[in-house]
Amino acid sequence: MRALGVAATAAVALAAALLGGLALAHGGAPLGAFQGPIPALALVFGVTPLGAVFCLLLALLDAAVALWSVERGSALDAVLIAAFSAAMLLVLCAQSVAVFFFAWEAMALVSAFIIATHHERRSVRRATALYLLVSQTGAACVLVALALLAYQAGSPSFGLIARSAGSLPAGTRNAVLAFALLGFGSKAGFVPLHFWLPRAHPVAPPHASALLSGGMLKVALYGLATVTLTLAAPAPLAWGIAIVAIGTAGAVAGVLYAMVDRDLKRLLAYSSVENAGIVAIGLGATLAAGAERLPDVAALALTAALFHAFNHGLFKALLFLGAGAVADSEGTVDLEKLGGLRGHMVWTAPAFLIGCAAIAGLPPFNGFASEWLIFRSLAAELVARDPAAKVAMLGAIAGLALAGGLAVACFARVYGIAFLGKPRRKQTKPPERERGGVPAAALVLLAALCTLFGFLPGLALGPLGRVAATVLHVPPPAFPTLPVLPVTLALLPLAGALAALALARRRGVRSVPTWTCGSPVTPAAAYTATAFAKPLRRIFAFVLAPESRRTLEGGDSRWFPQRIVYQTDSRYLVDETARRFAALTLRVVRRSRLVQSGSLRLYLAYAVAALILTVVAAR
Amino acid sequence: MNALSLAIPVLQVAAIAALAPLLQGAMKSLRARLQGRPGPSPVQPYRDLVKLWGKEALLPEGASPVTIAAPGVVLGVVLAFAAGLPLGPRNALDPLADAVALVLLLALGRFALLLAALDTRSSFGGMAASREATFGALVEPALLFSLFGAAALSGGTKISALNALPFSPASVLAFAAFFLVALAETARVPVDNQETHYELTMVHEGLLLEYSGWQLALLHGAAYVKQFAFLLLGGLLLPGQAWWAHLGWALAMACGITFVETALAKLRLFEVPQVLGTAFILAATGIGLRLIGGTP
Repeated sequence: MRALGVAATAAVALAAALLGGLALAHGGAPLGAFQGPIPALALVFGVTPLGAVFCLLLALLDAAVALWSVERGSALDAVLIAAFSAAMLLVLCAQSVAVFFFAWEAMALVSAFIIATHHERRSVRRATALYLLVSQTGAACVLVALALLAYQAGSPSFGLIARSAGSLPAGTRNAVLAFALLGFGSKAGFVPLHFWLPRAHPVAPPHASALLSGGMLKVALYGLATVTLTLAAPAPLAWGIAIVAIGTAGAVAGVLYAMVDRDLKRLLAYSSVENAGIVAIGLGATLAAGAERLPDVAALALTAALFHAFNHGLFKALLFLGAGAVADSEGTVDLEKLGGLRGHMVWTAPAFLIGCAAIAGLPPFNGFASEWLIFRSLAAELVARDPAAKVAMLGAIAGLALAGGLAVACFARVYGIAFLGKPRRKQTKPPERERGGVPAAALVLLAALCTLFGFLPGLALGPLGRVAATVLHVPPPAFPTLPVLPVTLALLPLAGALAALALARRRGVRSVPTWTCGSPVTPAAAYTATAFAKPLRRIFAFVLAPESRRTLEGGDSRWFPQRIVYQTDSRYLVDETARRFAALTLRVVRRSRLVQSGSLRLYLAYAVAALILTVVAAR
Repeated sequence: MNALSLAIPVLQVAAIAALAPLLQGAMKSLRARLQGRPGPSPVQPYRDLVKLWGKEALLPEGASPVTIAAPGVVLGVVLAFAAGLPLGPRNALDPLADAVALVLLLALGRFALLLAALDTRSSFGGMAASREATFGALVEPALLFSLFGAAALSGGTKISALNALPFSPASVLAFAAFFLVALAETARVPVDNQETHYELTMVHEGLLLEYSGWQLALLHGAAYVKQFAFLLLGGLLLPGQAWWAHLGWALAMACGITFVETALAKLRLFEVPQVLGTAFILAATGIGLRLIGGTP
């Protein structure tokens, strides 16, 4: 069964690579159409250039995940993951409303099964229920948006919808964009609809988390990009600005919560919220630039958004797989219990370091290239005439800079606390040295890709620029400095690192105990992850609303306790709002139960009333 | 690309690196005079570097390769930073003269130091890393905004455009914002204190606490180069026709920092965000003026 799952995942990877490559080379690949008896349910398949980018990302992710599944995770996981990948590929190949909606729902349901893997835990069951709730509500919004478009165009085929997009009435266009933003945005983890994501993504098995954050999030962004850039194009300026604002809020809030979290996997999920926000900034900037008639800026921003989506898929999958390796080796992903993993996790540690540097946007890794490009396109858009657009772009630049600085802090914390230093727990026997082999190959593959696209962003920029040009019907953007920038920046630091290592080898470095003012060196002296985040937790208390409790135990006097327990927790503002909303909904639903008396005659009366109303409305 | 365009950045880096310890010594000497002390000679940092370079390095048991490589990474980062400053005619490293690239490059150096400090597993390293990470996150928006003022008008992120700007209130605001950022980035009172010998108050020094000998020499040298290059970058924000005008503004900023260090005491950790927030607002106002005015 495991072999079947792995083979199927690899097959999906191969198919995605072929389809993506074909579509990229020929500017789209139509795969066929089936006209059934009901025209509205026509089945049209094909890959657009936009979809091709995501197909290629899916191919790379599936290749890594297939390698991982060879030895790790259960056999059932491997099969579910193959089905999940196939559903995502189907979404990317859908070119009519019926296919898209079917694939979207299949993706949502299979992913719910994956999230519920450890259903013996109550928190997992709750997370699954929450995920299903948000996912189905979102799917309904997606269906409404697509149905409105199909109704206006008189055809369910995306090609025909896109052709008649220009003649959409303003009201319908706004409604479509609003529903699309709700539907796709909730799946992509846009603030404030992200609250399910940090609960649902981390509880899945690690390779499934990698696909959820690296893949499904991107599929949702693909959906939003398809609707806003082709099916309902051109979007009014206000929508571009709104998406930039939502993205900025998500980028800052996501990384703030990641910064204070101590659960490695949940932290990574919050960081996905951040990166979805960054992609949203790029997408919003594209729409705003299109509305402001700045075609070259729009192409630049779309290239940046696509590149960042692609890069985030790679490094987030790497980090989730790395967290999986940590969980397998240590039995926990609690940062307070991890330490010194570098000593025995000889494969995971270097790969994870590359992932951390890439996600923090540091040169010369791929996160740097795409974040630089997003900054560049936002700066280019400051020449927009509309003052609101200028303010939005400035706000996004500031938010992105803050998020970038926080991401450096956040991932220095993760790597420094978990992988460097010494183990925090007493170990009875020395930990086993990590074996290489197939799962390690998955990490090495993803780390190599992060480095490759970091050093040579030109490899991706050419094709992505052409995709952006095709989607927006503008000439391809030019990238004057970026292809050489990472190498120029990283040359001296790299040379310095090698020189410092060589010098240390030649001159020798003497080992001494750590300086602790003369007291014994114990793991308890090491700084904790919670303590590391304390200054930022306090400074951003207006967002994080931290709660801390200190309890003194034992001892005769309160000045000489035997134990001090310090606990801190962040309340999530959005959660509080969501809880209130849920309580309100529940109350309303309970009230409305009055009309459900159980009497058959009353229900018949309802049916008749509905029929009369329909007839009256239809006249 | 001819020989000259390659020689310019090399000469620029060599000059900045050679004079950086002198600037540090001069600032220390001036500060001592202002406080009524004779103070050390301005060339003392050279002597310190030579002495440290000759000594063996000690590191905590089981130090990781990251810790061993970090001094080299940090020095490489600041040298690349110095090479990227658009002081002279266009040079071969022109792509480096980019606001975003320089800010993210500094972040790479900070990342390496944070990891090295956390690797020591001492509370001092962790505490300093936590503070440095906090300041770093808050510095980035303010720094980027003060550099963006000029670039924003042309719709780019290049800082070579800074050279051609006429004098305006906006550039003064950007310079003022940069000054506040420079206090944090060069580890000065009221944000940090270079003279402290008390581990609990150290920020930048705390990151280096476990380093010694030639590794410490590399890190001190890197800090001096960063200080000089950073002040030169600030000097670019005010108008000038040639590199010496920008150098003049940089030296004026160095004097200003020394005065601030004499006049003020170190701030509480949780008041530093207000300083950096002020810097951000000043820089944002500067950009606002430029965007409203439409002229540089």
